[in-house]
Amino acid sequence: MSLLDKPFSEDLPLNSVKVLDISQGVAGPYAAKLLGGMGADVISVEPPVYGDYARLAPPFFEDDPHVEKSGLFLYLNTDKRSITLDLSSEQGQSIIKPLIEWADIIIENYAPDTLENWGLGYKDIEAISAKTTLVSITGFGQSGPYKNYQDTNLISLALGGLLQITGDADKEPLKVGGRPAEYIAGLSAFSGAMIALYAQRASGEGQHVDVSMVEAIATAQMYSGLNYAYLGVNRVRANDIAPMYPVSNGHVGVMYRQENWDDFCEMIDHPEMKTDERFIDNVARRENIDELNQIVAEWMLKQDKTELYHRAQGQRMPFGYICDAEDLFSSEQYDHRGYFVEIDHPVCGPLLYPGHSFFWSGEKLPMGRAPLLGEHSESIYEALDFSKKQLSDLKEKGVI
Amino acid sequence: MSKTALEGLRVLDLTQVWAGPTCTKILGDLGAEVIKIESGRRMDISRGGIKANSGAGLYPDGDPGDEPWNTSGLYTDRNRSKISACLDLTHPKGVEVLKKLVAESDVVIESFRSGVMERFGLSYEDLKLIRKDIIMVSLASQGGSGPERSYGSFGATLEQTAGIASFTGYLGGDPRTSGTFLPDPMVAFLAIGIVLSAIEQRRTTGKGTYIDLSQREVTTGIVGEMVMDYTMNDRKWEPNGNRDSVFVPQGVYKCSGEDSWIAISIRTDDEWNLFSEILNFSLEEKQNSSTAELRFAQHDELDRLITQWTQDKDAHNVMHDLQAVGIPAGVSLKGDQILADEHLNDREFWEEIDHPMVGRRPFLSRPFKFSKHPGSTRSHAPLLGAHTEYVLRSIAGLSDDEITELSDLGITSNDPTKFQTAL
Repeated sequence: MSLLDKPFSEDLPLNSVKVLDISQGVAGPYAAKLLGGMGADVISVEPPVYGDYARLAPPFFEDDPHVEKSGLFLYLNTDKRSITLDLSSEQGQSIIKPLIEWADIIIENYAPDTLENWGLGYKDIEAISAKTTLVSITGFGQSGPYKNYQDTNLISLALGGLLQITGDADKEPLKVGGRPAEYIAGLSAFSGAMIALYAQRASGEGQHVDVSMVEAIATAQMYSGLNYAYLGVNRVRANDIAPMYPVSNGHVGVMYRQENWDDFCEMIDHPEMKTDERFIDNVARRENIDELNQIVAEWMLKQDKTELYHRAQGQRMPFGYICDAEDLFSSEQYDHRGYFVEIDHPVCGPLLYPGHSFFWSGEKLPMGRAPLLGEHSESIYEALDFSKKQLSDLKEKGVI
Repeated sequence: MSKTALEGLRVLDLTQVWAGPTCTKILGDLGAEVIKIESGRRMDISRGGIKANSGAGLYPDGDPGDEPWNTSGLYTDRNRSKISACLDLTHPKGVEVLKKLVAESDVVIESFRSGVMERFGLSYEDLKLIRKDIIMVSLASQGGSGPERSYGSFGATLEQTAGIASFTGYLGGDPRTSGTFLPDPMVAFLAIGIVLSAIEQRRTTGKGTYIDLSQREVTTGIVGEMVMDYTMNDRKWEPNGNRDSVFVPQGVYKCSGEDSWIAISIRTDDEWNLFSEILNFSLEEKQNSSTAELRFAQHDELDRLITQWTQDKDAHNVMHDLQAVGIPAGVSLKGDQILADEHLNDREFWEEIDHPMVGRRPFLSRPFKFSKHPGSTRSHAPLLGAHTEYVLRSIAGLSDDEITELSDLGITSNDPTKFQTAL
């Protein structure tokens, strides 16, 4: 037990794991949030003054831009402690060392070679603490001809091959809403960290885990490369996987499956379609999708989205209905499972957040609020044996 | 390093389709022993059924062969690095054997409709009696509780019910889904870490765990800020095409060649200064677009001018030229281009392995690389039931007589054409 450790009040799955989160933005903080949510002790190291750049990203509470009011930051940094430290300064690079020694896992998302130039690359970390794993998240990974290329969520979707298959054939390729490349890289970094931890528990040795946003998307979208590898043709964009139809109060998506076809024809009051050669199987339906859509669309217009969703699911037809945020909050399913959790915050007050997506042996694990910028600097630097005088000097110099 | 990262971990894989199998294939790539349980009666849907055209088929060069269920590309990619045993769980003797395997496994992962495992007599409570510290993970669509617990879904419908589709779409247009099944790999990439978190907890406490995960909830988890904007400001998000709330301009622009496009994101005023220079903007035009606010106000017009510049250029040239000055740009890669991509190939992203019926095809690797335990596609996807005898004898510890009896009863049959219910 180190003085640095957070005292835990409950037994959580990862109480034995210590994480140093020196990443910013979405992917790295999301990975660290997931680890923290499972009970790992996470110390987030933020640059002095403005902190993690996600603190400056919208949406803001009451649309007021403020380092403690970013909804993106608040969501991505639950279950962490925060200290400020300027890692680009020599003093910062030396102050971080006992925290490196403390950590099982370090998560970072600086441009390749940045940490090396600061004397904090994996080789340096290995020399300081052989057990520690470094998880690096970048757009293109730690090697390769595009290693130093600039990346954003959209660029990852493009080079990961997802962009080209989203949207309509007669329009430009379309991004999936939100920040899917960053989040999926974050999920990958979480699992990558846990794989390395499993190996470390056996060997005592950490390692360097290299996560690329482009590769996270290339792995996730799966279809386009394999489609070409197996069939020799490129997949074309189309709204044909669970196509969506306007209904009276929104949209409903239909997954056409052979086993549901007869029930579906009955439901839409077109029993004669059951034997219609144009729609007899998946291949035929795909070929005649425009005619099918026309018939279905007309019927759909009069339907109610949730009523139809439940009715279809009741007959084992895996329909979807298009949920916006309001629909998610009125979902009885989400309500029943307590998916949204209320978390209080000193600046923004109590708000509902998306919570854990699982029950752990029948329980929802607790979720604690995001830290204020540098909220835990004092206690953590004290545990590292800094005197009050030293701390005020460092603060003056802008190191912490 | 000769040892693999996950050496010593044995996983009983009762999942099918996409999310579960992707989770277990990566565990397998990294050294876990993954035993996939199927049966002739109930094959993984990704095998595509006994007929060739059931919709799931991605057959090699379009040819399903005599055993389509062994050649579907959707199956072969997601199920490499595993072994396959056939066991009919609708028969009590099949369940009995499965329990013997549970006794020898660390983890059981399943993705049946909620309630099916209970009906087999294989709920967590049942499994715990066989092995106290067993870790069981259920990857149900909506989780194991609530009014929609028995609802079914596919990745595309989860994008709809979890909130992503509501703001994916062209400016002012209808909702769209991703064109693939994005929630499945997301669930897979999360589930790997969750399984290993349970293992870490077992290491420190000796206790097993039951994890009841909701695929829909995992999916909402990646749009947290959209939810936060609603809880903080009552704002609902709408489709905004390829635009961003901070980066401006951002878009996907036509290049020369069929269906050829370049994505460009301008993050800062400095990047815009560089780009407007390249676009040959006049001093006045530059001044009129010097701040993000000014650029948001004329996004349509900027898109038009950028397209004018890109439309007769090669997408790769545009990417390299812009990246050379530090501007984020990327080609919207097509299937053949992503297979040939120089960066991905330099990083050995694609892996190849021979398959007896499919031949040598590229496989997707993993979303992470490990310096000491790289992992790889360790073996080709198993033919249906290829390892039944090995699993029954060496892991379940059955005698020759017992194995023969199961075979005679059809419980271990790997011939799906014998089961009328198989489709």
